Amino acid sequence: MATDLSGRSGEMGGIALSRRVLLGIALLVVLIAAGYVLVPGFASYTNIRSMLLLAAFLGLASIGQTLCALLGSIDMSIPYVIGSANIILAGLFNWGVPPILACLIVLIGGIVIGVINGVLSFRLQGQALIMTLGVGFAVVGASQILTSIGSVYAGNVLGEVPEWLRDVSSIAGTTFGLPIPSIVLIWIAIAVIIIAIMAKTPFGRGFYAVGGNRRAAARILISEFRTWTIAYAISGAMSAITGMTLLGFSGGGFVGVGDPYLFTTLAAVVIGGTSLLGGWGGYGSTIVGTLVLIILTSLLVGLGLSYAMQQAVFGLLIVPMVALYARTPNLRDQI
Amino acid sequence: MKNDFRPRFERHQHLVAPIFLIAVLLLVAMVRAPQLFTIDGIGGAIIVVTPLILATLALTPIVLVGRGGVDLSVGPLLGFINVGLVKWLVETGHASPITVVAYIVSAGVLYQVLIATIIIYVRISPIIVTLSGYLVLSGVNLVILDRPSGVAPEWMQSWGSGTSILSPVFFILIAMVTFWFVFSRTSFYQQILLTGANERMAFANGVNTVAARFGAHVVAGLFTATAALTYTALIGSGDPTQGNTYTLAAITALVLGGTSLAGGSGGGLGSILGAICIYLISYILSTYNFGTVAGFVTQMSTGVILVVSLLVNNLMNRRVRAL
Amino acid sequence: MSDAKDKVLARGICKRFDETIALRDCSLEINPGEVHAIVGENGSGKSTLAKVFSGVVLPDSGTVSIFGETPRNPMHARALGVATIFQEVLVAETLPVVDNIFAGTDDLWNRSRTRAEARDQSRNLLKQFTGTEINPDTLVQNLPLSVQQWIVIVRGMLASPRLLILDESSAALDLDATGRLHVEIRKRRDAGCCVVIVTHRIAELIHVADRATVLRDGAVVGELVGVNINESNLLGMMSAKHVTLKDKAKPPPATEHPASDVLLSARDISVGSSARPFDFYLHAGEVVGATGLDGQGQVDFLHAVAGLHPPFTGSISVAGHDDVPKPVRDPSEAAANGIAYISGDRAHDGIFPNLSIFENFALPFYRSTFGEFGWIDPRPLERAFAKEIQRLSIKVGRASNGITSLSGGNQQKVLIGRVLAASPNIFILDDPARGVDVRTKRELYAHLKEFAERGGAVVYLSSEIEEFFDFADRVLVFRNMTLFRTVLSANFSEHALLAAMFGDLQPSISPSKMQGAIVT
Repeated sequence: MATDLSGRSGEMGGIALSRRVLLGIALLVVLIAAGYVLVPGFASYTNIRSMLLLAAFLGLASIGQTLCALLGSIDMSIPYVIGSANIILAGLFNWGVPPILACLIVLIGGIVIGVINGVLSFRLQGQALIMTLGVGFAVVGASQILTSIGSVYAGNVLGEVPEWLRDVSSIAGTTFGLPIPSIVLIWIAIAVIIIAIMAKTPFGRGFYAVGGNRRAAARILISEFRTWTIAYAISGAMSAITGMTLLGFSGGGFVGVGDPYLFTTLAAVVIGGTSLLGGWGGYGSTIVGTLVLIILTSLLVGLGLSYAMQQAVFGLLIVPMVALYARTPNLRDQI
Repeated sequence: MKNDFRPRFERHQHLVAPIFLIAVLLLVAMVRAPQLFTIDGIGGAIIVVTPLILATLALTPIVLVGRGGVDLSVGPLLGFINVGLVKWLVETGHASPITVVAYIVSAGVLYQVLIATIIIYVRISPIIVTLSGYLVLSGVNLVILDRPSGVAPEWMQSWGSGTSILSPVFFILIAMVTFWFVFSRTSFYQQILLTGANERMAFANGVNTVAARFGAHVVAGLFTATAALTYTALIGSGDPTQGNTYTLAAITALVLGGTSLAGGSGGGLGSILGAICIYLISYILSTYNFGTVAGFVTQMSTGVILVVSLLVNNLMNRRVRAL
Repeated sequence: MSDAKDKVLARGICKRFDETIALRDCSLEINPGEVHAIVGENGSGKSTLAKVFSGVVLPDSGTVSIFGETPRNPMHARALGVATIFQEVLVAETLPVVDNIFAGTDDLWNRSRTRAEARDQSRNLLKQFTGTEINPDTLVQNLPLSVQQWIVIVRGMLASPRLLILDESSAALDLDATGRLHVEIRKRRDAGCCVVIVTHRIAELIHVADRATVLRDGAVVGELVGVNINESNLLGMMSAKHVTLKDKAKPPPATEHPASDVLLSARDISVGSSARPFDFYLHAGEVVGATGLDGQGQVDFLHAVAGLHPPFTGSISVAGHDDVPKPVRDPSEAAANGIAYISGDRAHDGIFPNLSIFENFALPFYRSTFGEFGWIDPRPLERAFAKEIQRLSIKVGRASNGITSLSGGNQQKVLIGRVLAASPNIFILDDPARGVDVRTKRELYAHLKEFAERGGAVVYLSSEIEEFFDFADRVLVFRNMTLFRTVLSANFSEHALLAAMFGDLQPSISPSKMQGAIVT
């Protein structure tokens, strides 16, 4: 989307990336301090572990959103794929499918949906947002129909969740003796890989090229189609993984489990400083944004705000954050 | 030499798909649900479809004025006006027609003016701003009214019966549609189209793009206000969450109607047709007995329809320039 | 002396964009009934100055007075009688011609004329300017770029402005159309309008300007009036040293190219339906030009040879080592066979505005050097980068700065450096010197000539005849979507090329009026 610039540097990049990350970290510090002061038990062991756990879920779900944002697009199907993965996995377990196979099926399903999203969004470019919303809706409707066959509970799937899955996502979980839930370490590992790939491999730099000027990228033989498809495929895969690990967390399939993730993934990307216009930012920024969001949520919950009000606060936050990082250039500078 | 007809047709070719679709849907409806075509049926249909038509018309000017502006907050705004009406006006006994109209218009317009101010002066992508609005309003709605309750104003209570075609809701619909068509013939509307088609060009040539954008949002606010009014008539009470579904439905209707989400192309007629299509689809679906999965079927079909109509819309609006 | 109310004045204008100082202390004066040219290299600030007059850009300091008032924004400027035709062709593609022409003429509540009137006026004006019938309801996206440029010009001339500004307005026009534009410009001038032309096309402005202000690095370096406006003076003022034709070394005469040195063959190709097929052979060491009136097939030919899309009929192939010809049908086959392509539209096709100067250069080499998922080690590429900067004398601050901190001409050089570093055999360029100043242009063509002398071959397209003299061995002139005539360098003259383009009929502008083009 950010293709029509010429000449002046204007405000396209907004603040330099390093400055954005610093701002994000500053925000983080402020929030942690506020939490420590205002909420009893904020800095407790349990609360920190719980925040890390939630950050891992959000962080994983936000990977796809970050990649799509780098291309100037948004993936609105994330909450629906998370919810669908959640109930389908539970359903598969109920039907006696071996756990590893079940997980593989759901993961592949997520990738396939991602590829569909990618192919369609590539065709439609600027309308990718609405398109992915439609795909997400279709998927979640279909998943619920599938899991409702032979069941009275529409939207929830109760059943046995394997112990190892619960351990991965449990707040009390440990990994190799370290008191950190496995999912957090998984997240960190994936994060490191993603950041390295995006910054230091031709594949990753190709993303920035496509996001910066799709036509120029095509001229140097970077396949735009491939880039879009892979971005959305990764998003679909990550959403599936998030949905599956959330099943371990909650112990029962619930289709609405993904709902908060639409706006929070977007907010994490935006607050972190990645521009939604394409070509600027990266996953490192999103990690900062994720942490800010989780800490803020904890703060708000500690202050007694209902979910509805929390949502309202996030909404109010998005605008000033985007105002800092992703203001579109003044029209005067674009002529 | 050049066929005079073709260029003029091209501008309206986005209407081909929705017109075709309506024809098909009406045929199917005649077979599956002949009761739709009775006085009762049509009367009831008008009550249900009017809020959607008005909500889609509310989206239209914002999309037309460009910058990829889809107002994601139209649903929660509808809900906000509705719960505010029920909680603040009816419960306190200030629900005379004049007060109600004054309230809904100010709420709708002021909110949209705020949104427009942020879009114009802070220069943030409209989708993000309205996303923000969606979040804030859906939270606020639940704070105002934590569950469906309350009653519509007394003078409106019979409006939702749908037993006759020429109901008050019908007249409101006709009035607003007429307003739209008059509006679309004004110079102001032309400025909106120019701003949406190429904002840089419009600005550089002296078009008042700021006023055009504000104007588009004000008109959107007016239409959302009347959509909320007719919605209140439809449900007869206040509901803090149900209105949110209008966002997706109206967007689907708009896309079906052929208006380009990039701006500068399309119009109100497409939106009206698109809304009618959406209504007919859900009506026809309800004639099948899906049992417990009925809601999911609707959900899935909404998604599929959106995807398909986007593809068709894109095909029709295709730019000729090669890559 | 006429007072300030009749003139357009600029005093001490300064303007800065982030790191770049676009204008420093510029002052100039434009009188009514005068065509005033603002000339300079790329990055000299001339476009910015034009935008200051149009109200698009507000200066940081200094005063602008347009007939006594200072414009606050384009709307206000319009009210003061200013009309601007910008460098970029600004049109609303989804809207019809009539809406585009009259954009901005209505205010919010009142229309300036009825729709029927507007349609009639569009039809008539376009007929007057372009000589052809154009349906006013046609959506602009269905019209070629040159017609779109005319729409923009008509729009500017429409309101009989008191100040008419044309910023590189003839960029998308061919010779014939440019001539017609000049006729209109002179008409306005004679009617008392102030006309400002911002351009780097020296030949053109010598033809039409009464006065010229020369800018260099954002400052006014001098003014020329009347007969003093000539290439030597202009070039001298624009660059630090005097560059005249005599200074340049004479290029070596075109050598005979033995047939065994054929690098690229295009057999029996045609670029449009019902176009006459032709053959084309490109030899090592050759520099071949291509030109023609607008839309006569030369662009399609170029794109086919570059592999951007296959020709309508026929085949294009490159000679392989083993004498087996390798076909060229798509961009990857072209790249694999050593064909490099550069488009003149760098904002569109070339640069990545979000990346650094270095990465804009290096990105195409990443995959081939490191593999898809390999770790990027910039050092070998940094060496290549340094080499190209030196070779092309690109003015670069730090390589890690954003590419948008460079001027347009320097950005183009980075793109060319990127292509050169890939050591292609065949260089295809589509109007490479578009928007590039004279001195850089000459350097560019000199490099291309050098490239050819080392065994490569170049095919380039230009609509400025002067870009062929001194550099090309032959020029392919296209008419009716086919190769009409090949003019060899020994026979180069404006007249010969114009005659080929217009087909031996009397051109509407006789060549003697197009003086200013360089003839050796």
